[in-house]
Amino acid sequence: MIASLLAQAGDWTSPSIDWAALAPEIVLAIGVNIILLLDLQLAETKKWAIATITGFVLLGSFVAVVVLAVTGDGARSLFDGRYVVDDYALILKALFLLAAYVVVLLSQTELEEGGYYQGEFYVLLVCSVLGMVMMASARDLVSIFVALELLSIPAYMMAAWNKRNRKSNEAGIKYYLLGVFASAVLLYGMSLLFGATGSTKLTDIGAALLDGDLIGLDVVAVVFVVCGFAFKISAVPFHQWAPDTYEGAPTPVTAFFSVATKAAGFVALMSVVFIAFPGADGVYQPLIWVMAALTMTFGNVLALRQTNIVRMLAYSSVSQGGFILMPLAFAGEPGVGPAALNAVIVYLIAYAFMNLGAFAVVIAVTRKTRSGEISSFGGLFSYAPGLAVAMTIFFASLAGIPPLAGWFAKFNAFKAVLDAGTTAAYVLAAIAAVNTVIAAAYYMRVLRVVWMDEAPDGDTSPVKSPAPVVAALAITVLGTIVLGVLPNLIARAGAIDALTGAFAG
Amino acid sequence: MLAVNFLLLGAALFCIGVYGVIARRNAVMVLMSIELILNAVSLNFVAFALMSGAIDGQVFALYVIAVAAAEVGVGLAMVLMIYRNRKSIALDELSEMKG
Amino acid sequence: MSVYLREYLTVVWFGVAALAIGGLLLGLAALVRPSKPSYDKGIAYESGVDPVGIGWSQSQIRYYVFALLFVIFDVEAVFLFPWAANVERYGTFGLVVMLVFIVLLLDGLVYAWKRGLLRWV
Repeated sequence: MIASLLAQAGDWTSPSIDWAALAPEIVLAIGVNIILLLDLQLAETKKWAIATITGFVLLGSFVAVVVLAVTGDGARSLFDGRYVVDDYALILKALFLLAAYVVVLLSQTELEEGGYYQGEFYVLLVCSVLGMVMMASARDLVSIFVALELLSIPAYMMAAWNKRNRKSNEAGIKYYLLGVFASAVLLYGMSLLFGATGSTKLTDIGAALLDGDLIGLDVVAVVFVVCGFAFKISAVPFHQWAPDTYEGAPTPVTAFFSVATKAAGFVALMSVVFIAFPGADGVYQPLIWVMAALTMTFGNVLALRQTNIVRMLAYSSVSQGGFILMPLAFAGEPGVGPAALNAVIVYLIAYAFMNLGAFAVVIAVTRKTRSGEISSFGGLFSYAPGLAVAMTIFFASLAGIPPLAGWFAKFNAFKAVLDAGTTAAYVLAAIAAVNTVIAAAYYMRVLRVVWMDEAPDGDTSPVKSPAPVVAALAITVLGTIVLGVLPNLIARAGAIDALTGAFAG
Repeated sequence: MLAVNFLLLGAALFCIGVYGVIARRNAVMVLMSIELILNAVSLNFVAFALMSGAIDGQVFALYVIAVAAAEVGVGLAMVLMIYRNRKSIALDELSEMKG
Repeated sequence: MSVYLREYLTVVWFGVAALAIGGLLLGLAALVRPSKPSYDKGIAYESGVDPVGIGWSQSQIRYYVFALLFVIFDVEAVFLFPWAANVERYGTFGLVVMLVFIVLLLDGLVYAWKRGLLRWV
């Protein structure tokens, strides 16, 4: 093995690397080390500084992304097109960094008050974000795999962060076992894909699959790869880990999983579907169709009967995943590809704001009530009108009520599906429409408790939220409203020409 | 051809691994089954690289080996944590949450 | 029979020869030696230690951390081999990249050391 490695290294020349294009990743990588070493040195009383430094690291990386976006002229391709920094990558990197920043704001007080604060939490968080940021640029099976593991392995530990809590243990081990199993299945699919096409580069795989008829090996490879990613985005029937992990993990971590990790899974799926699988649309489209229909239906039906708000949000995020998946079921139809890509990215952005916001409200309220039951939110409006209004905005947005971000995202997704114009598309759109109504039912049920019911124990002392949580709420409320009122801000996000190498079928 | 035998072995290892993941209730056994799948993957990559002459497969196999070690490190730590809290690592006893 | 399988035929002959020779010698010895089994002959020889407890005894959990650290640092060496076998060709670029890699690994080691994981308590 080494001998053949050497033989092919014969014509090796050192690659010219565009360091500027890698600036966000480099900032994060250096930041991880700084946080790790600082945490060892800082005295116990000064540990609060770690969260602030983490915020600055994320901010620094965000600035680098913005500078790249403003000054960039077209896509920057590194390592022979295996790592590409284009507009598609930049907008998703910005999304991941922003989501992580909100999560840092939320975890600051939550972890300290829960008594399980440790500086390593932020190290793992930044590592995970680094994986996501890499995932947005990865255009090769190897880099997709490494990015996926870099974002998942810290996430397993974060799920089990409350080490002495049995629920948190269980959340961690379930997430770990199913996650590792999923990546093993994904890897097996990747190995078959490599065997079928002779390359790990997505554009080469795409060209090889377009060339000639698919053979059995290609079909099995595509199915395995799509199913592997389906675990990460908790699509039914690969969703069993999601509710338990979401309920057991510390709530800020849950917010992180339901938004950032899920978005990273979608990003990988999109890169693969649009660049590598245009020749296999007959294979992945029916698969994604079935998963999308099952995901939104099961998620919603199970969310209806939940009494714990975090578990309800967990199932709701499963079902929202179905809506995000929906346009991808027609990504290969002629002329639908661009609309589908755009719809998924717009939905991911809107979903990040509203779902993080919903978790922020839950964190703010449960700090006082110490209960995750929906009934404990009774009378919230009477003693915390601000939180009640924020909660209404987020839940209305999740339900898809105009003029909020969620509405525009759903509208876009429906439009992309109807563009396909096939019977399958109309059936899926009808299923989605029914699901929108079911979803509205359980979101409104919570809002009714918030606005109409009395406080369960008559305790109506106002809720005092710490500054970071208020900041997180401000960011997410602003995002949810602005994107709903001015959808043009993101309407162009994720145009097909922004994804280098995509086949605009 | 020689490489086909490797692929058959890889497929067999994969199936044994999947069976182990589904049928075993001991967390460490499940971890070992997952390792079997990863070994099947490495074997596949090397065999395909042998068939096609593309070096990428061998490089991928190196990454799989390294990442598998990191994964198992985390997994065993987690199993240890569960054992400390519950004195058992049987997976079917993990049912704090339902619904 | 394919060429591939025929190559394995050598292995089979080796196995047959090994069994035959070993069996022949042991069989001869069994024929000529006297057989007088006694308890003392069955116990562990002079410096051998008598086994205590059952075979499935638990080992110290302290070993776990060391085993884990060893496995991780050991496995990461797979990335060093392809580079080390061809240092000159990769030149300064390769050296810098590998230094970054090793510094990142060292970071982990420093962390483990500072947290007291390397102490045998």
